Amino acid sequence: MHIPDNFLSTPVWAALDAVAIPAVGLMVKRAGRELEDTSIPLLGVMGAFVFAAQMINFPVGIGTSGHLVGGALLAFTLGAAPATIVMTAIIAIQAFVFQDGGVLALGANVFNMAVAGVLAGYLPFWMWAERRPKPAIFIGAFLSVMVSGSLALGELLVSGVAMPRPLILVSMALFAMSALIEGAITISVMQAIQKLNPGLVQKPKPEVSNRRVLVVLSGVALALGLVGFLWASSAPDGIERLGLQLGLAARTSFHAPFADYAAGHFDSAWLRRATAGLTGLLVVYAACVAFARMIGRRRSA
Amino acid sequence: MHHVLMDRWSQGSSPLHSRDPRAKILALLVFLIVLATTAPDAFPALAIDALVLVAGILIAGLPPGSLLLRAMAVLPFSLTFGLISWLAGDRLRAMGLVEKSYLSTVAVLLIVGTTPLPLLLSGLEALGVPRLLVLVAQFLYRYLFVVSEQAQHLRLAGACRQGTESRWRLGFRAGAGALAVLFARSYYRAEGIHRAMMARAFSGKFALLRRLQFGMADGLFTVVISAFLIVVRIQ
Repeated sequence: MHIPDNFLSTPVWAALDAVAIPAVGLMVKRAGRELEDTSIPLLGVMGAFVFAAQMINFPVGIGTSGHLVGGALLAFTLGAAPATIVMTAIIAIQAFVFQDGGVLALGANVFNMAVAGVLAGYLPFWMWAERRPKPAIFIGAFLSVMVSGSLALGELLVSGVAMPRPLILVSMALFAMSALIEGAITISVMQAIQKLNPGLVQKPKPEVSNRRVLVVLSGVALALGLVGFLWASSAPDGIERLGLQLGLAARTSFHAPFADYAAGHFDSAWLRRATAGLTGLLVVYAACVAFARMIGRRRSA
Repeated sequence: MHHVLMDRWSQGSSPLHSRDPRAKILALLVFLIVLATTAPDAFPALAIDALVLVAGILIAGLPPGSLLLRAMAVLPFSLTFGLISWLAGDRLRAMGLVEKSYLSTVAVLLIVGTTPLPLLLSGLEALGVPRLLVLVAQFLYRYLFVVSEQAQHLRLAGACRQGTESRWRLGFRAGAGALAVLFARSYYRAEGIHRAMMARAFSGKFALLRRLQFGMADGLFTVVISAFLIVVRIQ
């Protein structure tokens, strides 16, 4: 989900940098008001924890495994504004030290994962954590990954990166799968933490009134994710139409060899699309399993 | 490990190493923006940009082979998308994706490889990045490898007890337990760090061994590089 430099078109990355900078600034201000100075090392070490957590694998099926992404877990344990700051620091370190994601695309990556992802994950937790903690945690973690993934995909499409529709559907399905995994991991880790020391999990405080800003922002993040999702699932037609309207479409040509992929027996367009997507997903899944098996065999040999 | 190498690179004393971090960050941004707006088939301009990077690597005395190899980390991603664009008939974009994302990565590596991360972060702070964010990033980098090592121990311990071919539910519970332990340990570690900081009279800011100084040479460096790149871009 880390977009490297030169994948997004200049208006897209510039606009997202312009959005992400004040958003992170706002979060820093909020966090500065909420936190005591004990929290500075805490935020840093929690960032290191999220990095390290990627080494712990979770089995999710035949031969494959997933790992924690962490934005939602941070939001549930530290609060939304501190979680945004930690995620921003993580993404910046990844871009500079590990060459994972671009520097000009930092705004886009921060916006997708640290701002929109964290807020979208925090909203259901904030609303339901008191009454129904389990579904709240699951839905929150699911949404945080789904929203960041859809936004990244939408941004690539708006930038005019040509992707045939089956590929878009496959990547949406992959995002959905990793979002489900994130939900499952987050919920079991939260439970394990609670068993270990209930004091480590922050309960949201609904009585604090100035949280309204956060809730409104979370709603916006969620809506944006939804727009990205719908956009991606209606692309390329939708993108081309918008591109034509904006006069950007001169470059984007979608003469994909996949163009008539859906020459199936189904009448309903929806069914056809779903079948194509599922088939693609199965092919990718099979390839991944085969690949993982191969590596596993070589390692144990 | 990766970071050890980068830390070693950044300890040099070449003219590029000794420039103020702000000068290098600004030059990097100019380079990246110029590159992002260059047409993918403007080969002379791209070749000159690449030559600037090679000159930088040679002046800095970094091992060119291993730096160029490290920058290939971006290639799997950009080659995939490049291939997709190529198949979709957008050859110009396909070329641009691969060559420009590679050059950008080399540029970032050149700057990070000649600037120790604490200096780079204080440079960013001096350029207006909020202090809280910079402090968090500094702590993150400091404890990244400590916590990662703990995670590796946990993974090893888990593998010793359950084997690598785990059953679904069992593996999931074990992973969750490991992460919860890691989480709690990180939490307590942070508390200990805070106490230690208080005991040493932490003032809310990391002290640098040498103060940032933006001198004549730094200004000249940024202006000359930027002007050169922009002229090449416009020509």
